[in-house]
Amino acid sequence: MNTLNFILGASLAPGDFTGFTFFIGSVSMLAATVFFLVQHGQVDKKFKDSMLVAALITGIAAVHYYYMRDQWAEGLGSPTELRYIDWILTVPLMVVEFALLTGVGMGKLFLASVVMLVTGYLGESGLAPVLPADLGWGLIAGLAYFWMAYEVGCLTLVGGPTGETGAALAKAGGKIPEAGKMLQRFVLVGWAIYPIGYMMGTDGWYSGLVAGIPFNMDVVYNIGDAINKIGFGMAVWYAAK
Amino acid sequence: MVSTENYILPAKIVGLIFSLSLIFFDVGDSYSSIIFILIMLTIGIPHGSVDHIIAFINPNSRRFSSRFSFFSIYLVLIALNILVWVLSPFLGLFIFLLVSCYHFGETQVIGYNSTDNRLLNFVIGANILLSLFLNNIFELQEILVDFTFFSSLNLSSFENIFFLLISVAVLMMSVVYFDIRRKVPLYAELSILYLIFYHTDILTSFSIFFGFSHSLPMLLMEYQEMKEKSFFRFYLKTLPFTLLAVVFGLVLYYFNNNILTTDNLILFVFIIISSLTLPHVFIMKDFVNDK
Repeated sequence: MNTLNFILGASLAPGDFTGFTFFIGSVSMLAATVFFLVQHGQVDKKFKDSMLVAALITGIAAVHYYYMRDQWAEGLGSPTELRYIDWILTVPLMVVEFALLTGVGMGKLFLASVVMLVTGYLGESGLAPVLPADLGWGLIAGLAYFWMAYEVGCLTLVGGPTGETGAALAKAGGKIPEAGKMLQRFVLVGWAIYPIGYMMGTDGWYSGLVAGIPFNMDVVYNIGDAINKIGFGMAVWYAAK
Repeated sequence: MVSTENYILPAKIVGLIFSLSLIFFDVGDSYSSIIFILIMLTIGIPHGSVDHIIAFINPNSRRFSSRFSFFSIYLVLIALNILVWVLSPFLGLFIFLLVSCYHFGETQVIGYNSTDNRLLNFVIGANILLSLFLNNIFELQEILVDFTFFSSLNLSSFENIFFLLISVAVLMMSVVYFDIRRKVPLYAELSILYLIFYHTDILTSFSIFFGFSHSLPMLLMEYQEMKEKSFFRFYLKTLPFTLLAVVFGLVLYYFNNNILTTDNLILFVFIIISSLTLPHVFIMKDFVNDK
């Protein structure tokens, strides 16, 4: 047990639900990484890169959730910086899963994720006050997100149009179209927690409204992140197995 | 025949496990010098210590009429590089960065693309060094204190995460622009490397990259090329010139220790590395040609 304490660093206080979700995030991402790596050896050659990327996504998240849990347990508050490092590294990797499955659209998806991440960060950090955080940087980041959602065909779920990658996903063989639908749901529904968190964290949206609500956004991020990242990998595995 | 990729992947996985151990157990920067010295002595310098053999057994690089001409050119390049550093440190640094960008990028793309696209090699290497520097930029300002135009820049309003974001964004745009056979795995590997750069100090970051992403794969490829009976026999062949390189460093240190301080020691080490790197780059350029 002493060894375990050494590895875990600070201990979570009893009844600390938020801290518990950080812990669950960390171990579930680690378990998913091991699972995806094991499955990497079992799937067809054309899906190996997809499985490896799925393992890397959860692996990167596992490392950062381990640190986030530690920071939270030590009473250092919400680990925004670590969360952003995780997102900066994993969001583009999640986006390219679509391109890996279809072989098209990587350039547009990368470009959209660069725009979304950079403008989102500029808005939330307040580094570039040349534009307001809400209807300036936030709007650009939101448009980039919707561009990405259009490209991968998420809007078809609500009867909307699709981009090149979404069309290729629908026409692909095997279980790819079915897995593609799952991935599209993750982007359209699961990823919605990120812009909601952005709006709650920056002035001009609902920051005044949520200030009085005793609710921790970390819990939403932790559960949402675990579902999105592990679910993303599971959808790819479903297509590959 | 064992493919090149089969040697590269285990080397990089060893590096990844080592790096994650450092991050996981929060080793911090207290051991960075020891890590740097150990990696340089066991992997870094040995990977360049068989240049004199590689240059003659590789059919793509038989450009030297004799061993005498090989060693003459090799030593002249080292001497020229030192001279440039003495006359103009700025030019020395500039040349080192240009050469390193190409060399690091060239070996990094092996397994993901052919090394024929020289611009791609350079851009990938530049991305790696850019990320290494950006993710440790405040430390770099202390190391390059003599380069006042850089060390005096006021970057205090920027957080570390901003520099990570910039390096990832530049990488994404670079990967999108070039026609690369295995784009995503290359991007994914570099993402992991950037994670390590962010979480470790500059010396440890450089040691990990240089040791496990660059030198160890090259060392294993050289072993494959030389067809030695065992890795141990191959490794013994690297020892003479490894020791010579260490002596070279110590001699330079001895004659310069009156001007060396703890602040510029790292810069001094980089000058030695750059001097040894310059001729090595030309040998490796031919060596990796068909990889």
